[in-house]
Amino acid sequence: MLIVWIILALVVVAVLWLVFTYNRLVRLRNESSQGFSGIDIQLKRRADLIPNLVESVKAYAAHERGVFDEVTEARARTLSAQGVGEASDAAGRTTAALGRLFAVAEAYPQLRASENFQRLQEELTDTEDKIAAARRYYNTVVQQYNTAQQTFPASLVAGTFGFTPRDFFRLDDDGDRAPVSVSM
Amino acid sequence: MTLQQQIRANRLRTLLVLLGFGLLTGVFVAIVFYAYKPGVAGFIGIIAIVYGVISWFAAGSIIAAASGAHQVTKEQQPRVYRLLENVSIAAGLPKTPDLYWIDDPSPNAFAAGRDPEHAYVAVTSGIVELMDDRELEGVLAHEVSHVRNRDVRLMSLAAVLVGVIALAADLLMRITIFGGGEDEREGGLGGLAVIVGLVAAVLAPIGASLLQMCLSRRREYLADASAVEITGDAEGLARALAALRDDTQPLHTVTRATAHLYIESPLRDHQGLRSSLGGMFDTHPPLEDRIARLEQMGGFTLPQPA
Repeated sequence: MLIVWIILALVVVAVLWLVFTYNRLVRLRNESSQGFSGIDIQLKRRADLIPNLVESVKAYAAHERGVFDEVTEARARTLSAQGVGEASDAAGRTTAALGRLFAVAEAYPQLRASENFQRLQEELTDTEDKIAAARRYYNTVVQQYNTAQQTFPASLVAGTFGFTPRDFFRLDDDGDRAPVSVSM
Repeated sequence: MTLQQQIRANRLRTLLVLLGFGLLTGVFVAIVFYAYKPGVAGFIGIIAIVYGVISWFAAGSIIAAASGAHQVTKEQQPRVYRLLENVSIAAGLPKTPDLYWIDDPSPNAFAAGRDPEHAYVAVTSGIVELMDDRELEGVLAHEVSHVRNRDVRLMSLAAVLVGVIALAADLLMRITIFGGGEDEREGGLGGLAVIVGLVAAVLAPIGASLLQMCLSRRREYLADASAVEITGDAEGLARALAALRDDTQPLHTVTRATAHLYIESPLRDHQGLRSSLGGMFDTHPPLEDRIARLEQMGGFTLPQPA
């Protein structure tokens, strides 16, 4: 009789552990999805600022076609990006292109002095801070999520129920992003 | 210790303190039922529970009024509000907490509210003037950590428990002193039971307060560690704490009841008690100790004060 109780107790413990582990993985998966949509919101907000910014610079430097096309193309990529890989690639391009746009604007003191341009620049700085903040949260959660899946014995649960590791949101491995000095 | 280890260790200690709270309450209740008739014990129990429920629901709304804080908008305080937005995003909060303002030259800050959706962070005008963006970001991240870690709720619960135990102990004393003889004749309980009850009535509130302070100190360390996780900048927060250490202005509108809420203990008039009891009654760990932990986490050393 005793052995039956022991087996029963072990089964109960195993089931409880399974439920706990499964729920933890689901919670981390949801948090990482929320984290990514947090980045996405800020990237879209930055994309919304770009047309106005391009217009205001164009008014002074219409001949700098290459830079404008680059910014507009990076913006389009941001808006159509699917998944973390494409989004981070588009974000890196946008940052690089905006850097070049501000380098162009440097040469026009009147533009830099205009209230509209200053407001846009301030908004953009704020949005970039918020992209960085959202990225930090996402990467922290993804690290927890991936670690939870890879450590034994939770890895058994992760494998059985099809939890897969997620990509970090990287910006540094973007090849064509040359350092641009922008004095604000 | 790494950041993750610190966070885990703090969670474990919090759990132990909470278990201590449960144990203390359980022993106290058991002694009351042992030493007194069920009618008396039940009477005390009902009064204590009613008192607890009322203070639990009233606590949140009283804090802002008691500390002289009022809400401000993004337009009124764009700099602080933006920093608060950024740390809230980095902390993964569902929404940015409201920002409350206290007109007081003494630098301090606290967080309140029953859950992350209904939370607010209050800052004094002094702290905003004193600190640069990096330091202020550390302070706000510390407060946002209190919100995210549900510390506000935990500390309210602790405060209510302390109040309930103190009230029950007080009632016990009165009943024992003024009605003890009668109990002895009717219930047949000996003098020993009365003494046990009296000792419990004296010790229980002290024990509860000690646990509350211990819990508060644990949560401060945890909030510091979480703040570093949020901003990735241990030095910013360490410099902010150093600035608080070097400031000596006491806060005007503060009482012992709201002291545990602030980033740094706003009460500065209990140096004697602090040294004689080794800080057991402090709501906050010493700033030096908190700065030292941050230095360890970030691998840097702040210059010593002159």
